[in-house]
Amino acid sequence: MPFLIEHVTEVVFTIVVVVLLGTGTLIGMAIARRQRRERYFQRIDQVRERFGPVATALISERIEYQRGLEALKSISGVDRMHMLEQLLVSKPAPPDQIPILRKACQDLGLVKLWQQEVSGQITPVALMSPQGILRRVSRLHFLVRAKAAENLGIIRHKESWPLLVKALDDSHADVQTVAARALAAIGEPASFPMLLNRLQRVVLDGSDHLSLRTMKSAAVSFPLKQADELLPLLAALNGRLRFQAVDILREMVEREAAREAEFQLDRQNLSPELTELFVTKLCFDENPDARARSALTLSYLLDLRATPALVTLLEDPQWFVRLHAVRSLAKRKFLSQADAIGKRLTDSQWMVREAAARTLMVFGRAGLDQLTRHFLETQDRYSREQVADEMQRAGLLPTLLAQYASEPKGDEVEVFRQLSGMGKTSYLVSTLASSSDKNLRKKFLLDLGAHSDPQIRTWVRQLAARETDLELRTLATSLARQASPEKGGT
Amino acid sequence: MDWRQLFYHSMNMFNVVIVSYFFVGNGVYTLLMMVSLVSVWVHNRRLAYQGLDDIRDSVITPPATIIMPAWNEQEIIATSLASILKTDYPSLEVIVVDDGSSDETLQRLITAFKLVKMDLIYRPRIPTKALRGFYLNPRIPNLLVISKENGGKPDALNVGINMCRTPYFCTLDSDCLLEPDALLRLMRPIIRSPINTVASGGIVRILNGCDVKDDRVVKVGLPQGRVERFQVVEYLRSFHFGRAGWDLLGGTLIVSGAFAVFHRESVIETGGFHLDTVTEDMDLIVQLHRWAVHNHRKIKMSFTSDPVCWTECPSSLSNLARQRRRWQMGLFQTLWKNSEMLFNRKFGLLGWLSFPFQLYIEGLGAAVEFLGYFMVPLALGLGIVPPTLFVLFVLLGLVYGGFLSVGAVLLEELTYRRYPKGRDLLTLLIYAVIEHFGYRQVVLFYRFQGLVRFITGFQQWEKVVHVGAAE
Repeated sequence: MPFLIEHVTEVVFTIVVVVLLGTGTLIGMAIARRQRRERYFQRIDQVRERFGPVATALISERIEYQRGLEALKSISGVDRMHMLEQLLVSKPAPPDQIPILRKACQDLGLVKLWQQEVSGQITPVALMSPQGILRRVSRLHFLVRAKAAENLGIIRHKESWPLLVKALDDSHADVQTVAARALAAIGEPASFPMLLNRLQRVVLDGSDHLSLRTMKSAAVSFPLKQADELLPLLAALNGRLRFQAVDILREMVEREAAREAEFQLDRQNLSPELTELFVTKLCFDENPDARARSALTLSYLLDLRATPALVTLLEDPQWFVRLHAVRSLAKRKFLSQADAIGKRLTDSQWMVREAAARTLMVFGRAGLDQLTRHFLETQDRYSREQVADEMQRAGLLPTLLAQYASEPKGDEVEVFRQLSGMGKTSYLVSTLASSSDKNLRKKFLLDLGAHSDPQIRTWVRQLAARETDLELRTLATSLARQASPEKGGT
Repeated sequence: MDWRQLFYHSMNMFNVVIVSYFFVGNGVYTLLMMVSLVSVWVHNRRLAYQGLDDIRDSVITPPATIIMPAWNEQEIIATSLASILKTDYPSLEVIVVDDGSSDETLQRLITAFKLVKMDLIYRPRIPTKALRGFYLNPRIPNLLVISKENGGKPDALNVGINMCRTPYFCTLDSDCLLEPDALLRLMRPIIRSPINTVASGGIVRILNGCDVKDDRVVKVGLPQGRVERFQVVEYLRSFHFGRAGWDLLGGTLIVSGAFAVFHRESVIETGGFHLDTVTEDMDLIVQLHRWAVHNHRKIKMSFTSDPVCWTECPSSLSNLARQRRRWQMGLFQTLWKNSEMLFNRKFGLLGWLSFPFQLYIEGLGAAVEFLGYFMVPLALGLGIVPPTLFVLFVLLGLVYGGFLSVGAVLLEELTYRRYPKGRDLLTLLIYAVIEHFGYRQVVLFYRFQGLVRFITGFQQWEKVVHVGAAE
């Protein structure tokens, strides 16, 4: 069919030409883009070179404020505001320089511009900037709104908090996310209940575009003294809300505790209502997640009812509640609860057993002794294995070997015997092999040199072959020759 | 109908198949390019308010574990691990799984990081080959090295998952270098998403030709070798508009396991990495989709183009052949195994677009195109296709490929501009155009071999030898 073939040929030819033109256009666009960006970066470099030192000196108060401001005002061109933004807020400023930075942004008109942008107003000046395309295409306006919200957060502009609260309900999730972050950075007390209100909607409405993590991250940035605002959520009927509120408070408490060595929650930093709620309700909450997350706050409460409540949580039917309770007790002040914690070494859930072992180790020598005793006495194989695991991970074996070498009598040798019986001697033997202490090697040879553990046997044979000390080598040689009589040692 | 007519008829049919394949394949690629041009550009703009510091400082940021399987990587393992330990992430654990290396991989790790062997508890939730030992240094509590019997990369990854304690883990090939904030960036979509994001993938870029100092890429440049340069263009195309485009359409079927974050519990529920394919990363993504659909779970997969992992690409054709055969064979294994997804309405766009695209265009397309190089000239010789049309069609095939590759380079230029030299941009554009005159055909041959190996039941993992291409 020549007619059809001719047409197909024409069509294919047209497509080839179009594609070739398209390829050429794309190449042209790539090269033009490169040149444009180079010009843009040259411009930025020029501005930074000329005005960067002024901007730095201005916000670090090394030059007179008015002089610096006038210098920055002299930046000209349609991209003036963009360049000022690049100079002042593209890099994070130290907290002590924020007030002057904020003032400079305000006096240069940036704050007004950002406020307008957050609320969706696009000014003619903004349209002329290099970012103008974002402002011209309405579907891309969210990029401008989000960046403006970010900038207001960077300079901690307190007066903008109502705008940012409004932005929590913006039509785009990006703007909502950045607004939450900016509110957290500003830390205006009046915005906290609004933030919690938005968080409540996120928790209750599964189809919300805002992530719960974003909202929680913003909420926990507020100081503990504002925790009373959480009361309505803590007393809410919805269990998920209570859980999230308890968790937010837990993070606030943890952050404060990290700053202060002997941190405690008393009337000064936590209201009696909140304390009461924790010791009477939340630790018995029907939602196990809420119970679990209440443990840490309880562990810092000065109230006499807190510790018994925490100990009750150690016996909770849900393993993760017990886990949180055990972890919360990992403070030296709870040494008196070592027995209750020790019971969790035989917990049915390995993570609780592991946490119990780690908590006991926080108590220092006393905790370690308890752990050792438990290791030697327990008939529970899983519990014993867990303790052996923790002894190795925490690097305790070199310490135990040092104590064993220096002290006349202790439980250490029994610990080593137990480990050998369990076949967990890799760390023990490698520590022995790298030790230069002859006394330690001799003592170990005498006590456990005849043990049937393959790694101990190998070590003894190596000593017999390579040891430079004659007495030790003789001892090792005689032990190496012995057939291992019974598992369990000499 | 006599034999001669039947032959002519078959030739005609095959030509129709080739033409259809060409238009459908390139049509989808063009669609992906258009979509990606917008989405990657917008994503790049969104980075202006990404809030990485906020993620780094927030107590809400979930802890993560990097799992790095290693097999006979003695030359690079210590450097790679040193680089990973410097990763900027608030709560990070690192697990290296030595998959029964026959070289000094384990010994070099022990020496470099002063590790001691410990006898720890192993609680496998996913069955794996036996372990040989755990190696730790109590002074580096976030590092765990595990030695095991050789069982392949998926088995090594499963060991890592079994030992992982954090809700998310990141798989990372041992020959990769991470940018310091790459994990933070990869976790960002997970943290910001209101839906359970079970997988988050980043971009893999080619390390060859770059300057590396203190385990970091300090200067990005193009490699000297032609094979490597072609791969730079290929990677840009694959990641910038292959992955980004499918991500925007909600049809992600591939996340590069060389560098990706996964939700641990979801992965365990799907049985971990399966051992019956040689592209365990793609297989896991498909399994996760199936698990979510069958269990009515609302999940999300994410691809973002700013978290960067640098990897060494094959510098010789023999190594490239190994890599591409494996990818193609793995693609077929995964598609064959999960064929229930094909045109299955339960899987929505995945079943109706992504899966058929992977099968017919990426998979079988290799065979169609490869055979086309023989059949179309034959049809010309027999007078079935007029010479002008033949020439035009071959030209169209070549220039359309160039058009798409140039589009990928433009996308890079519009967004990240990782190659700062103007000369590098021009080189990339030239390679984008000439890629389809020789290199494409060579790769096509390897892909066809991969298909043949799938059909013949070949199962061996072909290892790509790394030569240390970074300067």
